[in-house]
Amino acid sequence: MILLASIIDSFTGAFDFILHSRQAVGSGHADVPVGGIPFIWTFARTQLEVSAIALGGALAVGMPIGLILGHIGKGEYFAVGFGNAGRAVPEIAVVFLLAALIGIGLGNVALALGILGLPPILTNTFVAIRQVDPTAVQAAEGMGMRPWQVILRVELPLAAPTIMTGIRTAAINIFATATIASFVGLSTLGDLVTGTNVYGTDGVVAGAIVIAVLAGSIEAALAGVQRLVTPRGLKLQRAARSA
Amino acid sequence: MGHAEALSVAFQKATKVYPGADHPAVNELEVDVPAGEICVFVGPSGCGKTTAMRMVNRMVDITEGDILVGGTSVRERSPSDLRREIGYVIQQTGLFPHRTIAQNIATVPGLLGWDGDRVEARVRTLMQLISLDPDLADRYPAQLSGGQQQRVGVARALAADPGVMLMDEPFGAVDPINRERLQNEFLRLQAEVQKTILFVTHDIDEAIKMGDRVAILREGGILAQYATPAELLMAPADDFVEDFVGADRALKRLALLRVADIDLWKAPLAFVGQATAEVRAKLEGAEVPHALLVDSERRPLGWLSETDLQQELVPATPDISPEPVIDRDDVMRDALSDVLQHETMYAPVVDAEGRIAGVLSVEIISEFLGSKEALSEEHAAVERPTE
Amino acid sequence: MLAAKSLMVADAANKCAPGLPANFCHHHETTGCVAGNGLFCFGWAADNFDRYVGPFFRHFEIVAISVVAGFVIALALALYSHRHRALVPPLLGATGVLYTIPSVAFFFLLLPITGLGLWTAVIPLTAYTLQIIYRNALAGLSNVPADAKDAGRGMGMSERQLLRRVELPLATPEIVAGLRIAIVSTVAIATLAFLAGAGGLGDPLYAQPTFKTNIIMVGVLTIAMALILDLIVVLAQRFAMPWQRARSR
Repeated sequence: MILLASIIDSFTGAFDFILHSRQAVGSGHADVPVGGIPFIWTFARTQLEVSAIALGGALAVGMPIGLILGHIGKGEYFAVGFGNAGRAVPEIAVVFLLAALIGIGLGNVALALGILGLPPILTNTFVAIRQVDPTAVQAAEGMGMRPWQVILRVELPLAAPTIMTGIRTAAINIFATATIASFVGLSTLGDLVTGTNVYGTDGVVAGAIVIAVLAGSIEAALAGVQRLVTPRGLKLQRAARSA
Repeated sequence: MGHAEALSVAFQKATKVYPGADHPAVNELEVDVPAGEICVFVGPSGCGKTTAMRMVNRMVDITEGDILVGGTSVRERSPSDLRREIGYVIQQTGLFPHRTIAQNIATVPGLLGWDGDRVEARVRTLMQLISLDPDLADRYPAQLSGGQQQRVGVARALAADPGVMLMDEPFGAVDPINRERLQNEFLRLQAEVQKTILFVTHDIDEAIKMGDRVAILREGGILAQYATPAELLMAPADDFVEDFVGADRALKRLALLRVADIDLWKAPLAFVGQATAEVRAKLEGAEVPHALLVDSERRPLGWLSETDLQQELVPATPDISPEPVIDRDDVMRDALSDVLQHETMYAPVVDAEGRIAGVLSVEIISEFLGSKEALSEEHAAVERPTE
Repeated sequence: MLAAKSLMVADAANKCAPGLPANFCHHHETTGCVAGNGLFCFGWAADNFDRYVGPFFRHFEIVAISVVAGFVIALALALYSHRHRALVPPLLGATGVLYTIPSVAFFFLLLPITGLGLWTAVIPLTAYTLQIIYRNALAGLSNVPADAKDAGRGMGMSERQLLRRVELPLATPEIVAGLRIAIVSTVAIATLAFLAGAGGLGDPLYAQPTFKTNIIMVGVLTIAMALILDLIVVLAQRFAMPWQRARSR
């Protein structure tokens, strides 16, 4: 009973931190206000910014490679292996290593995160293109579409749903890892979460809540995009098949 | 409506050898297809018929020799450009699931840069030509039946009015009943558009029915015989061709004849609500001793039985089903098979709109087969159905 | 704005390479590879290998508990919802949502409830494996060919026998594929377990996050663990089912 009460207490404290400004906890910072939405937003914004840049970079590199390899049907070992290898790499090590090698700052962290987001996008794009109905592709070539037309007008729209799955995975991975970018000097929500001394338990839990909510929102938003991007004819085809 | 000029296709010692293969897939093929004719490539699996066809639009590269389309070598243009002028229909249709029917059909015109209005008009014309309900234009392939999808595939290939069409077992994935219907419809279509068509099938019966000329290939891509269906049946070049055509050559000749070629009998027609006394009067001395109930469009609804005729007025629902209803443009072989299958004496024959054109019976068929016409050695290639 | 929590305090007075913490070169060599923060100092690695041993096994412990627990729960859920299909969408949704919560957030959300320690790390890691294994197990069971089940029922098998003798064996490749992905992912994520106070290879990493040799050691050990465990599972599958070619995902 007491446990439950203290849990509820922590969470109410956290919500209070999110909503209202208050005094900092640790000594030496007592005169600087912390908490409140604008305060939290500065951290969140940095995290979202660096995540967006990283995702954009991963898309710009991963998708074309995945598209081309998938279209010509070569490099399966590489494309699939790349995805598997990507899963095994501990993100925090990559972030630290890149920081040690090329320094800190928004761009460099974005690079590290971009590298982490690359495998799901590349692999999923490759697999998605390979799984497109080959007769549609054959008909397209037979009708005289040039290779890039085949990719853009036939393969890409039909592969879009699976590609989006890869993008969603990449986005979540990037956003999650961006949290710990605070260890290399970028002021993200990880600051809040690891700053018990300054923000108190309330701040820590508040940070965790904000991260979880933002992550969920990103996921939901991308899921919506995925629904939009799935061609209507494809949804009908799936419905017809499972009937 | 006017159609673009059909082009001739000429295989000149065309050869295809796949890298690492012992023998060629297509071996020095020499086939001349005159413009506006249907040439069927047929043979056992592994004979290279599909490969040969795909060499025309360079889906398969030519190793040696050449192929001329309309007198020009296919090598002279880029594959993409060449393919936009050649219609291509494959067995599994390959319709784009993410595009509507209208968008599918409009693909090649779009690639060629036709303006919007022209494309729209063309799509409408084509859908009418292949008997597709115009309402289907905005549906997606997944919402159509197999037969409808095949038709869309054909329409799509015809969209840019190509001079040549390549068709790879286009009706293979459809059930036999629909296949027959699609074949007949396609032949009617060809009568109107008169394209040069290269048609691949493994079914010798389909080859005989559809082809103006037939090229039989044996394993290794070697031409065994290139002739009209009649010649194939009456004078096979060697044992292989004779075997492939089948032991029932004589019966197969029934495929060379169309129902429309012979004189059909007439049955007295009855309309719904007509006085049965009139109908009974017509039955006296009629060729066919049964009355056929038709609707206001003269489409057969069924046969009237004695019980039906005992009422005062002709009833709306007849006792006996009209099946099998024979298409006038059908080949005799299929018609006979349908009649025998349904174990009826008489079968109503209808035209393209489904209106009654006459009555067929087994008697008529056997009479005809025994007649001088059928036994004539100089029977020409089957006449195309005329609209 | 509060000063950023930067660990990159350079000590100009020290001969140490910039980027290493102030007291680093006091405890280690001041010349050569280490002082210069070279990419990988083999000598140092050999000498200090034992500092990774404890965390390595702790890391393995965390991963093992999480994966086993996740596997058992996910498999049970899959088997149950396979028969009661209405449960599938909510279960897929729930496991999906859990997966979305970044590990860091998850650790600290649990903080008020479980405090710092092993369980604060294991619970989120278990939750992550749920989504992967549940989805794969469900797909594996769903993809069992209908004729195989038909034949089984026709031979008089009860539903339970059908499950044991037909469905599970045929679903195993897909289940194992999910297990492998779960293992590899969990090994990687567990490097963050130190934030929950659970230890693991993240500890030595965080202790000296600017020393390249250290980072690479941790990275290599993590990846090695992932590969070894993956290989064990592959071999186990091949051993248990020699007639199946192990699927490479």
